[in-house]
Amino acid sequence: MKKLLNVLCAATCGGAVALTLSVSTAQAQEWPSDDVRLVVPYAPGGTTDVLSRRVADLLKEELDANIVVENRPGAGSTVATGRLARGGRDADHTILMASPGHAIGAAIYPNLTYDPVEDFVFIQNMLNIPNVMVVPADSPYDTPLEFIEAAQDQNMSFSSSGVGSSIHMSGELFKTMTGSDMTHVPFAGSGAALPALLGGDVDVSFENMPTVFSHIQSGDLKALAVTSEERSQYLPDVPTLKEIGEHGLDDFVTTAWFGLIAHESFPEEAVTTMQEALQAVMEREEFTSFVEQLGGEKGTRAGDEFKAFIASEVERWDAVAEQAGLRQE
Amino acid sequence: MENLTEVLQLFLAAENFLAIAVGVIVGVTVGSIPGLTATMAVALALPFTFSMEPVAAILLLVGIYKGGMYGGSITAILIRTPGSPASACTLLDGYPLAQQGEAKKALKMALYSSVIADFISNIALIFFAAYLAKIALNFGAPEFFWLICFSLTIIISLASGSMIKGLIAALLGILFSLVGLDSVFGSQRLTFGNYNLMDSISFIPLLIGLFAIPEIIEFYRKKVVPHLRAKASGAGVSLGELKRSLKSIVRGSLIGVCIGAIPGTGATAAAFISYSDAKRRSPNRERFGKGEVEGVAASEAGNNGVAGATMIPLLSLGIPGDVITAIILGAFMVHGLTPGPLLFQENLPLIYALFLGIMLSSLILLVVGNAAIRYFSLIADIPKSILFPIVLMFCVYGAYAVNNDTFDVWLMLGFGLLGYVFNRTGIPAAPFLIGFILGPMFEDNLRRSLLIGSNDLSIFVRGPITWFFIALTVGSILLALYRFVSSRHKAKREVSEPGSGV
Amino acid sequence: MTGPQSSGGSPIKDAWDVIAGAMLLAFSLVLLFYLIPEHIGVPPVMQNPMMSPRWLPTIVGWLLLAFSLLLIAQGFLTADSDDSGRRFERGPWLRFALMGLALVVYVGLFELLGAILSGILATLLLFIAHPVRTWWVYSLAIAFPLGVSLLFTEVMNVPLPTLPF
Repeated sequence: MKKLLNVLCAATCGGAVALTLSVSTAQAQEWPSDDVRLVVPYAPGGTTDVLSRRVADLLKEELDANIVVENRPGAGSTVATGRLARGGRDADHTILMASPGHAIGAAIYPNLTYDPVEDFVFIQNMLNIPNVMVVPADSPYDTPLEFIEAAQDQNMSFSSSGVGSSIHMSGELFKTMTGSDMTHVPFAGSGAALPALLGGDVDVSFENMPTVFSHIQSGDLKALAVTSEERSQYLPDVPTLKEIGEHGLDDFVTTAWFGLIAHESFPEEAVTTMQEALQAVMEREEFTSFVEQLGGEKGTRAGDEFKAFIASEVERWDAVAEQAGLRQE
Repeated sequence: MENLTEVLQLFLAAENFLAIAVGVIVGVTVGSIPGLTATMAVALALPFTFSMEPVAAILLLVGIYKGGMYGGSITAILIRTPGSPASACTLLDGYPLAQQGEAKKALKMALYSSVIADFISNIALIFFAAYLAKIALNFGAPEFFWLICFSLTIIISLASGSMIKGLIAALLGILFSLVGLDSVFGSQRLTFGNYNLMDSISFIPLLIGLFAIPEIIEFYRKKVVPHLRAKASGAGVSLGELKRSLKSIVRGSLIGVCIGAIPGTGATAAAFISYSDAKRRSPNRERFGKGEVEGVAASEAGNNGVAGATMIPLLSLGIPGDVITAIILGAFMVHGLTPGPLLFQENLPLIYALFLGIMLSSLILLVVGNAAIRYFSLIADIPKSILFPIVLMFCVYGAYAVNNDTFDVWLMLGFGLLGYVFNRTGIPAAPFLIGFILGPMFEDNLRRSLLIGSNDLSIFVRGPITWFFIALTVGSILLALYRFVSSRHKAKREVSEPGSGV
Repeated sequence: MTGPQSSGGSPIKDAWDVIAGAMLLAFSLVLLFYLIPEHIGVPPVMQNPMMSPRWLPTIVGWLLLAFSLLLIAQGFLTADSDDSGRRFERGPWLRFALMGLALVVYVGLFELLGAILSGILATLLLFIAHPVRTWWVYSLAIAFPLGVSLLFTEVMNVPLPTLPF
């Protein structure tokens, strides 16, 4: 039996040495008095996950507390969000990285047990990434207008990373606004969707900037427009859809936004502490270069402004989901 | 060659070697714990790479990936619990071998085969990345559809014993895989309004439940049998055995490379395809599934062949083929690098430094794996009465850790009961797994093709790749039919011979 | 032998196949005529029947129906040639019952008691079930759940509900 213990010791020590202990360094202070849990409502590997781990790593130093990142995927992001909304004993030390799925999920999933706006405290918008309207390099269309005109006569296809993604919803929004005839082709994630776009199997996509940025630079994809409020500093020659102005596109603004939210019982002093710490995180050079790499902008909304923004998002996607027949009964 | 010095400068840093070594060790350790997958280890290690140099950071993650790919096979062989999904196929022959006291042989074969496959995969990455990436881009939904159809035919060769039961298992697997939100319309399918089911049934609880739990249930249902002392320190793999399996290993590695280069199919499917290919070609086909060391070799070659090759679409196209490469893509981004065509133009020395590191990781895997086998094979000596309760505990903790939800613990035990019923009725679990993995891919790519082609069926025969896989599919079915008919004839002849009948 | 005896004289060659086939037949009927129409939503417009969310489940349902009939037929006609793995000598019922109880502990009390306590309880139950007669082994039932939980939560930063408080 000694052998057994040896095995276990070897395995345990190996793991311990290798992964290095991330010991909690919480000191005697008001808040946080315990580890902070950062819930990622998606599986590892996506933008939300990488952003959360990047933020947690920097926040750990600013807050002087251990941050435990916890992936809790399921049903868009609604499983994790529903759990957060229920509160519980560590609700005052739990934060969640919300993204467009927060608003879209509320629009398409039936019988949610929570209100996406009223049940939460909105701490800080961290990052906004524009979507880019991209077509394959050999596409005959060079401007959004050319594309829209063609799409009114013939059926076009647009790809997305899945039903209910911000990429899909942007396409649906475009479809209803321009009155064009487009077929949605869903894929399992952006990674799987990209070859179809590069190979010309689909006509257009409203992809997130980081997924397609290098392909735009290398000339494998053509960027027709960006969907943000203003032109992106990374693609200064590409117009915004808002600029087009025609076909009701003058208020076509969609961004993939990411921000931290918490249960409504999250203490006010903790919100303030968090906001200060997050401001410090966002000023860090590591964060700045990360945001640049993603081709995004740092978020500026916090508190009530962030809340109002999310309320408008919920309303907007609700209408799109209704029109596209995506609402579940 | 100023590039060369730059490459060497980037590569020859103590940090790199440490990163690879630590990565492989962590990968093997975590990969061998049921429920803790290489994916999770890579995600958890990501923050540690933020402060590292880019080359070391990526190599750490790649090391974990490769180590995890092998580590999963350790527990698959020893306790019938695949440490990671890709090693599910390894247990088909690995566990029977361990039960026959040949644990060490199976572990060694798994290691050698993994390392060889890894090496071949790296060579493909370094020399053929550009070509393979082009093929990947020509792989649209219709091509995928036929690849999946071909892969589905492997159920026929996996269904040892009764063909009917094998097909029933596959159908049940497909049915379970369809639970969740419909991928095109978003409507609910057999979720019964349960939110935990909307993202479909989690794979890892299913996997652990299906294979590990029935073994435990059965142990407590059976009469106590005295513990058979396994020859843990017994024989490893002889050179002859390795030579005999070498063809299967190389073929499996190439299958792995092709599957890995095409984003979205995954190592688990590659392992099964390689396994069934080896089985189909082997002269002692009927030994497969009962402890044929070549089966272990083939499945490990298949899944490790994928590891290097998934870096092909990642590095040359910026497309992550699976979750792990998606996280590695994130690590690139954090360090201000964007994989894709531009990386090769702007950062060639860095790419070559990475290549050197990836080659080195195969070697380190060999060393670490050998050391791991020495300790892990002792598990085979632990009496089951002590081992199984602890395995069950690991399974429960692991299942919980996948999504941080008790629901997955229930799912795992539920599939455990299903697996037990399968064992009792002689329904094989492997085709169930294949159905579960390939079912959604089959449906999604069928529908995607229809959407892309605007319901024009000619899209299914649009190019040479589709024809190639149609030919493979048809050929594979015809071969199975031929084998079936000829075995029937043989059986009849034997029966009609005097003295041998009932 | 655990189940109904399969003897050469009876009309049924493999009773287990017949039972399994009958259960599958019932299941496929439930699937086709209740589960699919009631629990799979269909969008109002569809260009192609193959696009329907019900298309593949329906095909699977009919194939299951067909194969379950074949399985029943097989059970009547041929004895399973290879069921070595399906026969064994049954142990005492208490052993089996305690194992079931350990599973129930994990299913029902995991969240309530936390990982450590439910792990200890279930492992002890399984040791008693066997029964393990070496006294010091029982200390493993405490050491392992404790050690592994701490390994998960503290070393690897993988969250587990460790304790009920």
